[in-house]
Amino acid sequence: MKIRRIFIANRGEIAVRIISTARKMNIETVVVRNATEPDALYVSLADIVFDNTEDPADIPVFLNIDRLIDIALETSCDAVHPGYGFLAENAYFAQKCIENNIVFIGPSPDAIYKMGNKTIARELAMKQGIPMAMGSQGNIGNEEEAAAMAKNIGYPVIIKAASGGGGRGMRIVRKPEEMEKMFLIASKEAEKAFNDPSVFIEKYIENPKHIEFQILGDTAGNIVHLGERECSIQRKHQKLLEEAPSSALDDDLRNLMGSMAVRIAAAVGYYSAGTVEFLLDSERNFYFMEMNTRIQVEHPVTEMITGIDLIEQQIRIARGETLAFGQKDVRIQGWSIECRINAEDVQAGFAPDPGKIEKLILPSDSFVRADTGVRSGSSIVSSYDSMIAKLIITGTDRKDAIRKCKLALDRVWIKGVKTTLPFFRMLVRNPKFIDGSFTTAFIEKDLDKYYLNSEYEEMLAAWLATKLFEDENLIGKSPAADNGNNSDMSPWLLNKRINQF
Amino acid sequence: MNDEKPAIKKLHALSSENRRFTFTLPLRHKIRIGKRSYEVKLKSDEKYGTHILWKNRKYPVEIIRSRQNRYEILFNDISYIFTIETPFSLKRLKVLKQSTGKAETELIKAPMPGKIIDILVREGATVLRGEPLLILEAMKMQNEIHSPVNGHVTRIPAKGGTNVMKDDLLIEIKVE
Repeated sequence: MKIRRIFIANRGEIAVRIISTARKMNIETVVVRNATEPDALYVSLADIVFDNTEDPADIPVFLNIDRLIDIALETSCDAVHPGYGFLAENAYFAQKCIENNIVFIGPSPDAIYKMGNKTIARELAMKQGIPMAMGSQGNIGNEEEAAAMAKNIGYPVIIKAASGGGGRGMRIVRKPEEMEKMFLIASKEAEKAFNDPSVFIEKYIENPKHIEFQILGDTAGNIVHLGERECSIQRKHQKLLEEAPSSALDDDLRNLMGSMAVRIAAAVGYYSAGTVEFLLDSERNFYFMEMNTRIQVEHPVTEMITGIDLIEQQIRIARGETLAFGQKDVRIQGWSIECRINAEDVQAGFAPDPGKIEKLILPSDSFVRADTGVRSGSSIVSSYDSMIAKLIITGTDRKDAIRKCKLALDRVWIKGVKTTLPFFRMLVRNPKFIDGSFTTAFIEKDLDKYYLNSEYEEMLAAWLATKLFEDENLIGKSPAADNGNNSDMSPWLLNKRINQF
Repeated sequence: MNDEKPAIKKLHALSSENRRFTFTLPLRHKIRIGKRSYEVKLKSDEKYGTHILWKNRKYPVEIIRSRQNRYEILFNDISYIFTIETPFSLKRLKVLKQSTGKAETELIKAPMPGKIIDILVREGATVLRGEPLLILEAMKMQNEIHSPVNGHVTRIPAKGGTNVMKDDLLIEIKVE
């Protein structure tokens, strides 16, 4: 099968990421230009741009299956890469591509469907003897059923959306009294987010680590794993920092968990790149959570320590090639950490802070890889995710990677939006992060402050505020004494004023 | 300059957490720490935008908001709110604080833009710290907003089913 031209059914940094590998492989790329961000970086990098700025549809084009297929056909693409999010794990989209003789760069629709439905995935894992947290056999119909099931399993339990992911439709219930309310919230949220209100229940593992295995399979049935990623630094199930490998695993545990990951992938005839997620408790027991049938945001840390380009592998596998290496050829070298620099207000509970990025300078050190979909002048729009850049730092070992991480974080320069940088500056200095003993409860339980600032920084900010006050009120250019009426000065004006110093 | 008013010799920047930074006027571009004083430079250029140069390091700065003597400053990606007081206004502030006693009102504001799904308390209700007050949906997630204090609900400007902007007032609680 030849792939000459790929339609990227996505945007942002992942579109940019796919373009870079496609270019290396001499494959053309097609992207969609939208009215929400017509000047996005990915638009300027692709070989061919399909102009969709006049699209009258209510839903974003990246969720519009018929429209995407039409565009792929119209631009004569022989393959589609779905990226992550949007339709990346939509079996119907994959099926539609195949029906229209377009190669879907990802697993089979059947594998997407089975792993996407958490209830089926659980049954499959159970049959394969993969360790799992106790839970309901299927979906739970109502709050009474949920309460009965929870009593059986023992509190705390977690309610999860059957079609879920990304933390939506997920609620932890610690006491029977909370069950009714939480069940309704989870179910409502699941319906909103996934168009499917069905939920199931399982035992909630307290303070686990989130460990996931990257796997690669080809259409000939070969499957290997590329080791683990640790993604325990998360807030409300949204990952913030990922690293590979994990300090919680030794070779024995890595081999065991890796072989389980391969086994569950094999059970659905998996090919392409995929991720098997586990929870690991403090006694080194691990539990299968779910499989993600797409390339993940955090895939670069695995690439950095294995030297394998996962997008390239996805394309090769989609072309029908068999894996050029076996399990014993996979070597893990070094330590890699990814910080997700998002446009979020850490001081306001990580609320998204969309806006225009006035300035963006990313470090150019050899130990930093910066994957981004924006540049100076780009906007973070509220209709999409708030990612600015992924900072991927690689060192010889964990200590070295953390040291380099500190340097890299201070070399990022962003103006115009609030970012998660202060969070990471704090995190890389936190003893519990440094010693590796953190769990998924870390952010909620072990931190009393989500950001780092030194005493001098506050003092300097105070100096600046005083300077502004002095200039406006005491240096008599304007009738400053009466500033009661017309006091709501625009920040733009103030910025201009600052510029004149 | 106005000759009738005595010259102001000092300004105090009061942080929202009640830390006080005092600067003598006219404001110098040097700040003393211990025995040494360091130069502060406020600069702006095409590459970095507005920034402060301090001890050979650049820090991004931004003025987010200013109203009368209140300034919200973004310094190295962290925001700070200061009110600037003259020695006279600071004294007046202290007097005011003593006379109003300690009955404080806690304003619950929307931490992010979203939609009010449900309001779980009524006016006059007694709430305990940590008790859920309302459910705010944002980014397709339903978030419970909890009371940060023990007190009585005095006012509920939030309405179920409506959209709110960040920092919109949702509920007022009289602190006990």
